[in-house]
Amino acid sequence: MLLKDKKADLVIGYERGSSKRRARPVVIRADKDVDRLIFDDTCGPSLVPFARKALRATPLGTRVAVVAKGCDGRALVQQIAEGQFKRDQVVMIGVGCNGVTDHRRGASGEKREASCERCRYPNPPVYDVFVGEPVAAGTGDEFAGVAEFEKLASADRWAWFEHELGKCIRCYACRNACPMCYCEECVVDQTNPLWLGKSAERPDTTLFHLVRALHTAGRCVDCGACERACPLGVRLALLNKRLEREVRERFGYTAGLSMEATPALATYSEEDKQEFML
Amino acid sequence: MSSSLRIAKPDLDQLVSALTSRYRLFGPVDVDGSTVLREVKSADELALGAALDGSVKAAFFPQTETLLTYDGTVSEAPSGRDKPTAVIGARPCDARSLLLLDKVFGTGKYWDPLWQRRHDDSLVIGLGCSAPLETCFCNLMGSGPFDAEGSDIMLTDIGDAFVAESCTDKGERFLKTAYKSQVQRPSQADLDKAGEARSKALASLAPAANYSGVKTALAKLWDSALWDEIALGCLSCGACAYLCPTCHCFDVQDETAPGTQQGRRVRIWDTCQSALFTKEASGHNPRPSAKDRIRQRVMHKFSYFVDNYGEAACVGCGRCIRLCPVDFDVRVVLERVIAEGRRTKDKERGTKKDVRHAG
Repeated sequence: MLLKDKKADLVIGYERGSSKRRARPVVIRADKDVDRLIFDDTCGPSLVPFARKALRATPLGTRVAVVAKGCDGRALVQQIAEGQFKRDQVVMIGVGCNGVTDHRRGASGEKREASCERCRYPNPPVYDVFVGEPVAAGTGDEFAGVAEFEKLASADRWAWFEHELGKCIRCYACRNACPMCYCEECVVDQTNPLWLGKSAERPDTTLFHLVRALHTAGRCVDCGACERACPLGVRLALLNKRLEREVRERFGYTAGLSMEATPALATYSEEDKQEFML
Repeated sequence: MSSSLRIAKPDLDQLVSALTSRYRLFGPVDVDGSTVLREVKSADELALGAALDGSVKAAFFPQTETLLTYDGTVSEAPSGRDKPTAVIGARPCDARSLLLLDKVFGTGKYWDPLWQRRHDDSLVIGLGCSAPLETCFCNLMGSGPFDAEGSDIMLTDIGDAFVAESCTDKGERFLKTAYKSQVQRPSQADLDKAGEARSKALASLAPAANYSGVKTALAKLWDSALWDEIALGCLSCGACAYLCPTCHCFDVQDETAPGTQQGRRVRIWDTCQSALFTKEASGHNPRPSAKDRIRQRVMHKFSYFVDNYGEAACVGCGRCIRLCPVDFDVRVVLERVIAEGRRTKDKERGTKKDVRHAG
């Protein structure tokens, strides 16, 4: 309908993938192909990187429609707040999301991903059309997992990080699947100067993941795309969640809820807490 | 030449200790639900049932490898080795990939001493695939779930035991020395079970599509808009290349401690999907877009490698599909390449016909 009425030039959504447990991003240009679109709990990958790609590859004025579950809608809102594109360049097709599964960790309908278990925004905050019914938001403390982790002794927490980072092969699937990792040139791809080594040894992988966590602080919408993208199961979204809480407590800012609010790391106030300054 | 024996699963440790006494042994190990290749010391570490997520290439071509160290002057990296390398539980696709990599590093126009140091005198113990996955397509790449090519010994899971068969002289010699006295020969029932596992596995694979036209089609499609379409479904990360058993491109970096002349020269896996892969010192990049890069990946595997070594650099393990964050499917790419190639040919013919008619 959006295509027929010329309200959008192309639609980015999901189609059934290599098995019934998987969905893959698809670009639809003609009304006749709309039947390929699906939405269910196999639709894990964030479509936001694909929307950016489509906006860059098409002439100015092209309107890109994107199927947006809660987290992806928030990522689009956050990118608009960060001035990445204008609201009228995207048509947001909102869908309520009951959480997604990972094909490696269970069949469709089995086990929701960790970020979905703690999700409080199953519906996009902004949309142009909404398909289906909105989903009731989960209740309880979304930071309970972080609080649980913080109870561990410092050495145990570090051991956990070392174990997770030890799996990393520097493929950058997490970064490329992330809706908020959109730097034109990532710090790890700079060679002059070379800010960090390119090996898959732990000091280098650690630095990469710490830089990424800090650079997505106050911007991450906890969609979990990074963890689902990782081919070897590195689970670091908890670190992002910890930083999300930090930004919310210190600056009262939650990413992806408002297109007008100034992002936490793009502003300052003299009242900002600075007890860490010497 | 070939001999076979029965190894009850609880007795697998005997095989593993025979291996570790002579070899540096690598095998599949479970890490939080992923199966990765690690050095192993005992049979309980092994996760032989699962599909290996990281490929076996890391046993011979590690992701990060010091080539030499220096402190003002160059000192060579240690060239000796304690023991030769062995791999247990290599699936037939992976075992075959080692032969392809050996064409690049070991036996071709160029030879790589680091590869040779590990690969020479190595022993590969294959494990037949009783239950191929939906993403497996070894049969489309000219192989099969029990293909012995590349394995010195092949294991077949028959439930409570493995049937081990030697496939090379090296494998035969190893089995003879490792099992001098307590050899248990498989019974007819065991052999029947093994045969059944084989035919069941074969039947479960998708019928063999014909990819023989891929290379010819690729030759016509350098400028095709098909690559723009294909690139739309790719995140341009390196997951496929780093998990691929035949991808072998690498980067070389000098890491010098600041303010000193001390450092190391290190070889690290690299991927053609990274923009940095072809970025030149001037800043120019001959492969500036995702389209250029995904085309390179397909061309290298299915065209250039065929030119250089006579076969495609793909063994159909399916990791690049199964572990792709966005379910990019190389089988679909190959089908589209063939279809597009055919269309391009038809168009050319059509044009000629039109010209004749006009004449």
